[in-house]
This record gives sequence, structure tokens and C-alpha cells, in this order.
Amino acid sequence: MLDFLQSLSDGILFGATYALIGIGFTLVFGVMHKLNLSYAAASVGGAYCGLLVLKLAAGAPALVVFFCAFLAGGVIGLFVYLACFHFIPISNPLAALMATVGMLLLIDEIIVHETDGMPLNYPALFDDVMLRFGEFTLRGDLLMVFAVSIVCMAGLLALLYRTRLGLATRAVSQQAVAAQLCGIRVARVNALTFIVTGLLGGIAGAMIGASVGTLSPLLTTPLTTKGLIVTVIGGLGSIPGAIIAGLLVGGFESVLQQFRGVTERDLYVMLLLFVFLVFRPGGLFAPRGGRD
Amino acid sequence: MDFYFGLAQIIGVHTLLGLSAYIVLLTGQVSLAQAGFFAVGAYVAGMLTVIAGWAILPALAVSSLFGAVVACAVGFPALRVKGLMLVIATLAFGEAVRLFFFNFDYQVAKGGVKLGPLGGEGFRQIRYFPEHGWTTMDVMLFIWTLVALAMGLLWWFDRSRYGAVLRAVGEDELAAQSVGINLTAVKVSAMTIGGAIAGLGGGIYAHYTTHIEHASFGILLATFALAYPILGGLGSVFGTVVAAIFVQGFLVEGLRFLGDWRNLLFGALIVLAMNVRPKGFLDAPTLLWIRRLFGGRRGAA
Repeated sequence: MLDFLQSLSDGILFGATYALIGIGFTLVFGVMHKLNLSYAAASVGGAYCGLLVLKLAAGAPALVVFFCAFLAGGVIGLFVYLACFHFIPISNPLAALMATVGMLLLIDEIIVHETDGMPLNYPALFDDVMLRFGEFTLRGDLLMVFAVSIVCMAGLLALLYRTRLGLATRAVSQQAVAAQLCGIRVARVNALTFIVTGLLGGIAGAMIGASVGTLSPLLTTPLTTKGLIVTVIGGLGSIPGAIIAGLLVGGFESVLQQFRGVTERDLYVMLLLFVFLVFRPGGLFAPRGGRD
Repeated sequence: MDFYFGLAQIIGVHTLLGLSAYIVLLTGQVSLAQAGFFAVGAYVAGMLTVIAGWAILPALAVSSLFGAVVACAVGFPALRVKGLMLVIATLAFGEAVRLFFFNFDYQVAKGGVKLGPLGGEGFRQIRYFPEHGWTTMDVMLFIWTLVALAMGLLWWFDRSRYGAVLRAVGEDELAAQSVGINLTAVKVSAMTIGGAIAGLGGGIYAHYTTHIEHASFGILLATFALAYPILGGLGSVFGTVVAAIFVQGFLVEGLRFLGDWRNLLFGALIVLAMNVRPKGFLDAPTLLWIRRLFGGRRGAA
């Protein structure tokens, strides 16, 4: 029982990073009704850029690394938007999708090329802290990851629901044409959405690096699938759904890793997805159908 | 010369993979599961010739059948969800298949040697072609005969009523439904045909590489499958072949002198191609131009 609770809580804490990745997918989908498959790779790329700081100034504190990953994520996000969405006609969703796949391969290969495919150590905060409640422990670095993720989500929700930019973003996601008629520059909102999701992705990549301890190009594929699964389970386009589904998937996979081993773990996560597709295809929080 | 025959084998198998994604794309669905069907075909055909001792043709027929059955089974639940949800569902399915074979052990001792798939180490010694004295050229001709058959079949579909139905669903589901087309039946049937072609391709792949492992059937392969028809254009089956030759012959083999940079260029070229030619190499105006060039009857149309 204790094993179960322990792995469940570890998984839920780590699941916060899945939630961040899921939010990135879901936000772009909500606003543009398109899928950006390069998102998880861009997030890992952002985290790698954070490491560049250590190269320039050895011994820089972990917080600086995280902040640089955050900024770099935003820059990569803008780049992805320009390369894969801005110039491709809206009427051709396949081309945009394929372009993001190309981008996924490109980012992946740049990382492999620059690091020779070797995993790099990633700095963490509070990794020597351990909260003990009898036999039950909470890892300090995972708590930090969880806290940072929650702060980012709160920041995003505040941005979406308390600012003019958020209002514009929500307007575009509901009805792009009507939003344009009201004088909202749709292309600019789209680009800003990519920057915002990129910033989130950068911090998510950094948090994953911090909790795993290393960063490797092998992370991108599982992160892409996990992020997409989170998006579907939560309901495409739903931010609260992505948060809850991220925590759910994190806890679920951690418990199965405990009982079935690391090689079989992901198989059960896929099964969970198919259970949702068959019995609740809209996800946990399916948004109501928009008026197109 | 063997090098070029070997390259032609690779292009042939990748053309089959691309064709399997092509027919699904015609209905407007994006499936990243083709690599999964390909893997199923590869393992089934390999096990049949190595463990059960079957001949190659019946083994390929059964692997193709397996691909079709699995695709049909995946199609029903997955096609309940539309468009982008399907991308995710099929991506997850492809990964699930890969992970299944990662955990799949089934070894049989034969003549003192243990044969069969062994989890992460893969499935070695699928030596049907060398054991039966096939040269590289024989294998190449065999592969391209099957490719030509598959292409002929799809070309014929394209010109039949069924092809028109597929394209109608791809253009506008609502309009297709309102003229009495059963959307689920059309999509699942396209998925099934795609699965059969991918299973066939996988069966051939297992035999010419002689060693298959789970890592070869990842997202990258699924991406390749989609990339061929999208890069080539959905106007005609020949677009897929052109793209397979371009990617495997030019990007993968031809740019080998660039070393490491080749892989970087690959992703960038896909991004570039989609920006410059969003409808593929052989889009409708280009096809028309080619027809005029050859002065075909339909050139004026």
C-alpha cells in the first residue's frame, strides 16, 4: 500500500510537466485548430538552450538556467510559427502538419548534432531535500517541479482570463473570422500564442531535465506521445482538462512502473488512451462544439 | 551494381509504405499508425518463413491479411474521432505496437539454434532469400513486381467509383454524407486497404534486411510513410513514387557526402517543401502540364 501511495505521489508530482506539455498542444489546437507536432521537441530544445548558460558562465545558478530555457522556448516557438504556419495557406492543414513533423526532425537532429547524442546533466533545485512522513517521502526536486509548474499554469490562466491579449486569444479560438471583423489581428494573436506556448514548453523542458537529472534527445518521442495523450484524455482544447489529465497520466504511469516494470509501463498508458477513445472520445472536459 | 539494386529494394518497400498512407489520406484522414501495421507485417511474415517454414508468397499474403485485420480493428474505434484526434490515436497505436514487440519473446529451437523474436534484441536471421539462392536482382525485381501490382490496384481504384467516393469524403465529409455515403464504411475500408499494403511492405522489409527490431518501427518510420504522399501530392499514385525516390534516393543516399549535416537538412527540406509546394510535387496544375506534354487524350480536359 505504501509502495502504491509513494509511486502515485511521485508520479503526480512529475505529471505536472506532462500537464505543461499537454497545455501547449491544447492551446495551439484551441486557437488555430491545428496540431503542432514539434512542440515537445521544441520544449526539449528550449531546455538545452538553458544549458548554454552554463557553457558561457560555469557555475551559474539553476534558476538562471531555467529562466534562459523559458526565454529560449519562446524564441523557438516564434520560429516554429514562422516556419510551419505563417506562410502555409490555412486551407491546407496537411501541409502545416507535415511541416511541423519536419520541424520535429530538424530540432531533434540539431540537438543530436550539437551534443553528439550524449545525455547532459541538468541542474536541479532542492535535490538534496527529502520530506519524510514516517516511511513516506516526498522528493524536494519533484516538489519544486510541481510548484513551478503550478505557478506557470496560474500565470497562463491569468494571462488568458485577465488581459486584453487573453481576451483576443479566446475570441480567435471561438471564431477566427468574427474576431478578425472586430479588429483583432489574427496572425499576431496566432504568433503570440506560439510564443506563450513556447515559453511554457521551455520551462516544462527545464523541469523535466531537473527532475530526471539528465537531458537527452531520446526524451522527445515519449514526450510527444505523452503530451498528445494528455491532450486527448483532457479533451482537445481544454486547459483544465490538460492539467488534470497530465497529473492523472503521471500518477498512472508511475504506479504501473512500480508494478509492471519500466518497459511495459508506456504500453498501459496507450491502453488508457484507447479506453478513453472508445468510451469517452471527447475526453474529460470536451469543449462544447463551436459555431463555425 | 548490387548497391543500386539494394537502393531500389529500399525505395520499393518505402513506396509500399507511402501508398498505404496515400489511400488513407485520400479520405482526409491522417494516420501515423502505418508504421505499426508495417511492424505487424514484418514480424508475422518473418515468423512464418523462419519458424513455420512457409514459402515467401503465402507468408506475404498472410502478413498482408494481418495488417488489414489489425488496421480494420484500429479503424473502428479510432475513426469515431475526427481529424487531429485521429493523428494522436494512431500515433499512440503505432507506439503501442512498437512497445509490444519490444516486450515480445517467442523463440523456438531449430537445429540447435534458437530462432524467433527476442524482445529488445529483435528478430535475427530471417534468411529466406539467401537460403533459397535469390540474388539481389531477383529480390529487387520481386519487390518491384509487388509494388507495381499495388500501384496498379490503387490507380484502378482512383479511376473507379470507389476512388471518387474516397475523394468525396476527403474533400467534404458533410457533403459526402448528404449524398448517402456511409462515412464509417469508407474510412474503415480505406484504412483496411492501407493496412494490407503496409503489412505486405513490412513482410518484404523483414526479408531483405534479415534482421528486424522494435526501434526501426518508431515515429520516424510513420513520418516517412506520411511524408511520401504529402510531399508527392495526393493527385496521383505516381506522386508517392516520385517522393520515395526523391527522399530515399536523393536525400538519404545522394546527400551521404554531407555526413552529419544530411539529417539536419532532411527536416529543413520537409519544412521548406511544404512552404513552397503545399500541395505536393505533383499537384493538379503540374499533373495537367505533364499530361499536355505527352499529348494525352485527356490533356485538354
